[in-house]
Amino acid sequence: MARRYDSRTTIFSPEGRLYQVEYAMEAISHAGTVIGVLSKDGIVLAAERQATSNLLEQSLDNEKIYEMNDNVVAGVAGHAADANTLINQSRAIAQRYLLKYDSPMPVEQLVRRLCDMKQGYTQYGGLRPFGVSFLCAGWDSTFGFQLYQSDPAGNYSSWKAACIGENYSNAQSILKQEYKDEEKEEAGPNVRTVGSQMTMDDALKLTCQVLSKTIDTAKLSSKKLEFATITLKAGKPFIHVYTSTEIDEVLKKYESVIKPADSQ
Amino acid sequence: MDAQFAIAGRDFVISVTDKGVMSSILKMKKNQDKTCQLSSHTFMSVSGEPGDTSNFSEYIQGNVKLYSVRNSQDLSPSETANFIRGELADALRSRSPSHVNLLVAGYDKGAGEAALYWIDYLSAMAKVPFASHGYCGYFLYAVMDREYTPDITLDGAKALVKKCFEVLKTRFVIDFADYTIKVVDRDGTRELRQDEL
Amino acid sequence: MNRLAEQLAANDMSEFGLHNNNDSAAIAGPSFQLAAGSNPAAFAHHFIDAKSEKDSLIKIAHGTTTLAFKFKDGVIVATDSRATAGNVIASQTVKKVIEINPYLLGTMAGGAADCSFWERVLGMECRLYELRNKKRISVAAASKMLANLVYRYKGMGLSMGTMVAGWDEKGPGLYYVDSEGQRIANDLFSVGSGSTYAYGILDSHYRYDMEVEEALDVARRAIYHATHRDAYSGGIVRMYWVRETGWEAFPLEDVGQLYYRYHPEIQLTNSAESPLTVAPLA
Repeated sequence: MARRYDSRTTIFSPEGRLYQVEYAMEAISHAGTVIGVLSKDGIVLAAERQATSNLLEQSLDNEKIYEMNDNVVAGVAGHAADANTLINQSRAIAQRYLLKYDSPMPVEQLVRRLCDMKQGYTQYGGLRPFGVSFLCAGWDSTFGFQLYQSDPAGNYSSWKAACIGENYSNAQSILKQEYKDEEKEEAGPNVRTVGSQMTMDDALKLTCQVLSKTIDTAKLSSKKLEFATITLKAGKPFIHVYTSTEIDEVLKKYESVIKPADSQ
Repeated sequence: MDAQFAIAGRDFVISVTDKGVMSSILKMKKNQDKTCQLSSHTFMSVSGEPGDTSNFSEYIQGNVKLYSVRNSQDLSPSETANFIRGELADALRSRSPSHVNLLVAGYDKGAGEAALYWIDYLSAMAKVPFASHGYCGYFLYAVMDREYTPDITLDGAKALVKKCFEVLKTRFVIDFADYTIKVVDRDGTRELRQDEL
Repeated sequence: MNRLAEQLAANDMSEFGLHNNNDSAAIAGPSFQLAAGSNPAAFAHHFIDAKSEKDSLIKIAHGTTTLAFKFKDGVIVATDSRATAGNVIASQTVKKVIEINPYLLGTMAGGAADCSFWERVLGMECRLYELRNKKRISVAAASKMLANLVYRYKGMGLSMGTMVAGWDEKGPGLYYVDSEGQRIANDLFSVGSGSTYAYGILDSHYRYDMEVEEALDVARRAIYHATHRDAYSGGIVRMYWVRETGWEAFPLEDVGQLYYRYHPEIQLTNSAESPLTVAPLA
């Protein structure tokens, strides 16, 4: 049955499904894992680079983590080329916003614009959906630190800790278990409390712990990993993308939680 | 020939605009409100080419409101002013430039401070402590330069506005008779009568 | 120099010994129908605002007196009826009130063609509004529509100063709309070269709580006095009253006859020294 309805994104199947969009999501669940963990004073993003050959030149640039704007950093899972065009567009959108209002674009607005682009490709004829999911970590003066996940359909949602890519469901259950949540406070209609007891250290530690359990490798190393954080420095958002040395230092620091692969 | 000026303190802006509509030597109306409310804590006063003034301010009002509806959050005074400047600059190089002079007044709830922006019809913009457009500036800038202090209170500003009225009444060839006086602070925007100064 | 005048001058066929180009097959090059008169350029110059620096702006003379005001029982609209072309009186019987629909009136000042064309367009839009929304358009909306229509042509030579008067759910409505795109609401307006004279009468005699007869009298006198002093206004006084049931028109009154009605002391005599004498009051 699927055959008749999966060649075009614009057509619903009799069961009300959009197969092409689902296939795109399936593709992403085999892509390198990206994890995001929100803490009370920042967000950690970590991503796994998949399937590198020894013959392949080590790329100097990141493949998985990109700065979208001064206040937003994103991790991508899925088709790298698809991600590239979306990242480019998002950067341009954020810059146009800055030009127009002389103020950084609020995180959710940028995520929404990104998702509008993705949504368009699930509806207009003859187009293939973008095969990418994003984890966007950002800060704005209204809502503070925010972590958003988006999918190829154009949906997005806000998380305290999230994971996309291979083994994401495993990762998510670990995150759910280990994440130290704050007791809920009554807040005004427009105030979202971050509700986290985690420090940045806790977040980094949790990230390493999850990575070690989701990535199928003998030993975690900077060769296959990318790390970035967004924090506040003098009241302004500060994005730090880790160098390979820094990544190795982090891995060393949290060695205790990183289980050796053979023990699994 | 409009009278338009404003004074900003740390946490308020008081703005004055005359209410006359003039057409060559004729006074066509004496109770026109030339200010335009953009959000609860931001408004602007508008002067310039007849037709352009209302058209441009309605366009800006619509778009600022649209932003609030789309994003469930108001633009700050600074964002509003920058947006207006940009739209005016785009219009300037288009086939339909708008000849309008603006004073954007607002209270930034996030930053907890008031802001006043001066924008002319060529889209030059400046954040200023006090401002004026048109001929009345030739009279009032000296007075405001002399009397203004950055820590001016609302009462002090009201007294300064009264002084400005006196100067205009004694020396300016036009008798403006009535003015729209608006104040914006943390509580929002309100209009004052002349006898409330 | 005005571009149109230059064009007309360049096309002056008198050089070729031709007064019009009906037989233009005889000469080469582009040609068009010429206006009457031996020198079209000079003829056209009457219609051009010499003070205007803008190219191709034909200014039809603005000579007119129109007025309208709200009062307790509705809106009174009054106009003169003179049309001028330069220093020539082109007509004394112009209808400067445009009946947009049974509840809406527009007045005409500036370019007669611009006013009648755009107010007919407005009439069409108002009818479409009625068909679409199953209710009459408000005066505010109708006047806004006209203002938006003409604003699109701002700076392209339109010349109109019009008042839109009517009755809607909110009661009497009155707006001034001009070709600059300006639109203002008020209780009282006068437009045209005679407006200053009309304002003089209106401002000193107008009250909101007048009875209809008094209101009509104030309007009539305001138009009369404007035609008396303004060379570009004259002819007859045309008056309308808009109320809940729609507008109604009143009989036309010749301003020449009003002169003798308002000044019974003045009589024509056949004296050689002064043909016009003031008869001693009885």
